[in-house]
Amino acid sequence: MNILSIAFKEIKQDFRDWRTLIFMLGFPIILMLILGLALTNAFSGDLSVGDLEVVVKDTTGGGPLSEAFAAFTKEAGKSGITFDSLPAGKNGRTEVENNRYVDYVELSGQGISLYGSSRSTIESNIVQGMLTSFADKYNAAAAVAQTEPAQVQAVFAGGAGSDYIKELSIDADRTPGSIDYYALALTVMVGMWAAMPAGGLIQREILRGTAVRLVTAPIRKSEIFAGKVLGGIATSFLCVIVIFVFSKYVFKAYWGEHIGIVLIVLFSEVIMALSLGLAFSYLLKGSASRGIISLIVQLMSFFGGAYFPIGDDSGGGIMGFLVNLSPIRWGNHGLTQVIYGNDVSAAWPAVGLYLGFAILFLGASIAAMRRREGL
Amino acid sequence: MNVLDIRGLTKKFGEFVAVDNMSLTVREGEVFGFLGANGAGKSTTINMVSSLLRPSSGEIRILDRDITKQSRFAKLNLGIVPQDLAIYEDMTAYENVSFFAGLYGLRGTQLKERTEEALEFVGLCDKAKSLPKNFSGGMKRRLNIACAIAHKPKLIIMDEPTVGIDPQSRNYILTSVRNLNESGCTIIYTSHYMEEVEEICSRIAIVDHGKIIAEGTKEQLKSTITDVKDIRIEVKSALPAAAGALKAIPGVRTVLQEENMIRIHSDAAVDNLNRILKQLLDDGMEIRSVEEQEPNLETVFLTLTGRNLRD
Ligand SMILES: Nc1ncnc2c1ncn2[C@@H]1O[C@H](COP(=O)(O)OP(=O)(O)OP(=O)(O)O)[C@@H](O)[C@H]1O
Ligand SMILES: [Mg+2]
Repeated sequence: MNILSIAFKEIKQDFRDWRTLIFMLGFPIILMLILGLALTNAFSGDLSVGDLEVVVKDTTGGGPLSEAFAAFTKEAGKSGITFDSLPAGKNGRTEVENNRYVDYVELSGQGISLYGSSRSTIESNIVQGMLTSFADKYNAAAAVAQTEPAQVQAVFAGGAGSDYIKELSIDADRTPGSIDYYALALTVMVGMWAAMPAGGLIQREILRGTAVRLVTAPIRKSEIFAGKVLGGIATSFLCVIVIFVFSKYVFKAYWGEHIGIVLIVLFSEVIMALSLGLAFSYLLKGSASRGIISLIVQLMSFFGGAYFPIGDDSGGGIMGFLVNLSPIRWGNHGLTQVIYGNDVSAAWPAVGLYLGFAILFLGASIAAMRRREGL
Repeated sequence: MNVLDIRGLTKKFGEFVAVDNMSLTVREGEVFGFLGANGAGKSTTINMVSSLLRPSSGEIRILDRDITKQSRFAKLNLGIVPQDLAIYEDMTAYENVSFFAGLYGLRGTQLKERTEEALEFVGLCDKAKSLPKNFSGGMKRRLNIACAIAHKPKLIIMDEPTVGIDPQSRNYILTSVRNLNESGCTIIYTSHYMEEVEEICSRIAIVDHGKIIAEGTKEQLKSTITDVKDIRIEVKSALPAAAGALKAIPGVRTVLQEENMIRIHSDAAVDNLNRILKQLLDDGMEIRSVEEQEPNLETVFLTLTGRNLRD
């Protein structure tokens, strides 16, 4: 009960601070508008589905998989994806690495394997999503074939063709443009912003002198802590939801078919960000922590691709290292796969990382809080 | 019954001893004055009683129960008016009182009644829906008090509740203290203003360097310094050099100069008024009036600590 009334008070205060709120919401929306709409041209050249070129190597020497795949490529070809056979003597992986193709598909006795370009993540995810759908259908067909061979054709007839493209979940008239990219990237960035007010969560009570009253009241310090954390999470997540809704319905950004999963990823991100801010405010007492947290969030945003795509995620080097270090990247990466690759399981590594770090940071904060006199 | 019992209380900040082996008892129904110069250790003591600071050593009991072993009981019976304002500027007066009272387990209509009662008590009923942002200093101080009393504590500790406010608000607060006391609250009152303490406190402790150096009713305290006389001389225009020469006169203990008023504490047994006046005349000062005052708390404080309370 005390926890809830503290959380509620926290939310009330946050929403009365409309100056901060306007900035928290206005800045990303304006940025989305500028980056997303103004840069559309620069983006669509890169991202239109029509430009996707895939190189294929078939080592099965004919057979049901080859046949099914041929049907698949024909249908996919209609929506502008080109499938070229790998010329003899060439290495598919090298072709992709040299950026001549976005993906390399290999059909073998073991099944289908895909080697995607690390530079064109979104495109690669699109192909991956299509292949996943294809593989599902093929497996289903293979299972049917064992019992009722006559039905196989029916399964493929029903599933073949434009369905693969639908599974892509891309609007017929649109390609993933810059607004889609920035809607995602900036929403994930706003989630990470939860770290900034979190730095002041406890600090603010101390500065206002009200920490004295909270500590002298007949409630446990853990209740104060829990109430404040809860309130902080609620406010920050509400901001994320506002940005999400705005981008989806006003900017018509594409968020895929798994909105629930997307929100779970964002929610776990907010929890992590808030815990990070809190831990820093405990470890680095005083106002210095605020500056440091906001610097960290800026760096995360930059390397995480909030302002422009930094594609090289699997590549080595210091840049690749920094990029993967950014929690914004985890969310961006996971969500891109969920949204464009139709791959729900890609969300869980991000959620796991977020919650894992959240536990770590919250644990550190609680330990520091217990040792401290007062709040 | 003792409302507050402090035994051998010490607080160290690193090497610095802010409160030094202090013992103190406050009985039910008292308005207990806690007097001391800046940095004497008053707030530090109060902060330990309100479990904001952990004592380095010693024991604190509220209503005969140890505050660390039965902290919930202690906290329920304690109301704190902190020296620094402790209110949310972005929540209305009503929301402030109601939020804090809610932490004491008050709910529903009881919470509403107590909140209104507390606001009425400090005369802020008509400002219940206003934000303290727009309050005067005195109104903020009054709200600071309202937040401490809605849960009807047995013991209220007020740490300089009248600092920096207009005389009207001050009178209001002093009257509230009396009313609270009459309604059965025990009060510990800290102030820099001697007149206030003299006016409302039934018993007084004087703290210096973390220690209690005197304790008792104001009459008891004053009677300890019958050997001192307090001479006030008003001159037309005091010269800065006057003090030095006066201090050399036998019997004179301290000389304080506030604009045209020269205050001298001197041994009562030494007859030196004539010499003092002659010195002033020799220095070319024009005497307007001479007055020998009854000792008051300020005299007591000055005699005991050698310092003025308001530096
Ligand atoms: N957290 C702290 N760390 C170090 N020293 C402290 C701390 N808090 C108080 N002190 C020191 O302890 C001494 C007592 O401070 P305290 O605030 O108790 O004085 P006070 O009697 O309330 O004075 P005032 O009349 O100015 O309010 C002061 O010298 C102060 O500098
Ligand atoms: Mg003080």
